[in-house]
Amino acid sequence: MELLDFYADWCGPCQMLKPTIEEFEKAHPEIKVTSVNIDEEEELAEKYGVSSIPCLVVLKDGEEVKREVGVMPLKKLEKFVGV
Amino acid sequence: MKEYDIVIVGAGIAGLTAAIYGVRAGKTVLVLEAQVEGGQIINTINIENWPGNMRVTGVELIRKIKAQAEELGAEIDYVNVEKIVKTKDGFEIFGDMDEKFKAKSVILAMGTDPRKLSDEMMKDAGKRPVSYCATCDGALYKGKKVVVVGHGNSAEHEIKYLKGICSEVYNIHHDEKIPEDAEAVFVAIGRIPATECAKEIVEIDARGYIVAGEDCHTSCTGVFVAGDCRTKDLRQLVTASSDGAVAAMEAVKYLA
Ligand SMILES: Cc1cc2nc3c(=O)[nH]c(=O)nc-3n(C[C@H](O)[C@H](O)[C@H](O)COP(=O)(O)OP(=O)(O)OC[C@H]3O[C@@H](n4cnc5c(N)ncnc54)[C@H](O)[C@@H]3O)c2cc1C
Repeated sequence: MELLDFYADWCGPCQMLKPTIEEFEKAHPEIKVTSVNIDEEEELAEKYGVSSIPCLVVLKDGEEVKREVGVMPLKKLEKFVGV
Repeated sequence: MKEYDIVIVGAGIAGLTAAIYGVRAGKTVLVLEAQVEGGQIINTINIENWPGNMRVTGVELIRKIKAQAEELGAEIDYVNVEKIVKTKDGFEIFGDMDEKFKAKSVILAMGTDPRKLSDEMMKDAGKRPVSYCATCDGALYKGKKVVVVGHGNSAEHEIKYLKGICSEVYNIHHDEKIPEDAEAVFVAIGRIPATECAKEIVEIDARGYIVAGEDCHTSCTGVFVAGDCRTKDLRQLVTASSDGAVAAMEAVKYLA
């Protein structure tokens, strides 16, 4: 399972979400977390059709299974990813 | 279960200021926040009317205030409060993931949420993305045509910001048709108070605001209200912060 975190430096909610993403990574080393800066990786943002950030996408075997836009605390993030 | 002197619902500027005043008065304080601390202001990148800190960003300001509240001894937990119940000797606060807390007094500081686009307009938008935050999503539409729905101060602010990024920024009312060639829809049609969780315990006016004067007393003894979710004229950072101080000190008086 993999978690993609689409963000940008100028996005306030993305900055607020960052510590939660880092906590999640620490608590769940079994899940690969990839943070995608949409300014630097435009193609990837386009590939996933990201239209609002922060945007979290869960991949299973490389396929998207879920996505959510906006900030959430750790407990909700864990529930969303399903761990 | 630990019983707190004061449980505060919402970690925006009002709730966090209330926490600072509560702990400094020697009370045990728990702040419950549904998403992330900061509330509305985290979307703002250029605040010019918070005294003493010209052009501070919302994120910077909130990080400092949260650190200050915690250093002074306030606790923060991430819980979406669904319901508040008055008991014989205090209050019980329930979260949406089966959490439960006890408090001798409560401060409501849930702020406001953006008013959502009508179903009809959502249909009109079709597959086009709908955003409630230009500073978050504007840059995704570099050189493209977008539309801003709404005509208030915040719509004006969004238009100004988007004009620096997009090739064209249309502006329409909330009952007009979305231009065919707009690739994204930005919405700024006002805000609605996030007072659902308190409707059974305090008086709420027809627009959803919790009824209270400058003393921040609600219709329920022991429950106080601070910030944008209160009936008032000026909804700004300094007035939310001011309410936080007043509500906390009124709670302290009530607890004495
Ligand atoms: C785009 C924009 C720009 C602005 N610019 C300025 C400016 O330059 N200067 C200025 O002074 N003011 C500005 N304001 C206004 C200012 O942001 C608000 O007046 C102020 O932030 C209100 O603070 P608050 O704490 O009352 O509410 P909020 O900031 O709305 O915070 C409420 C908090 O409560 C939480 N919450 C809600 N319901 C629950 C629940 N059931 N359980 C748990 N938690 C809950 C929310 O998640 C949120 O974190 C701006 C507002 C906007 C939208």
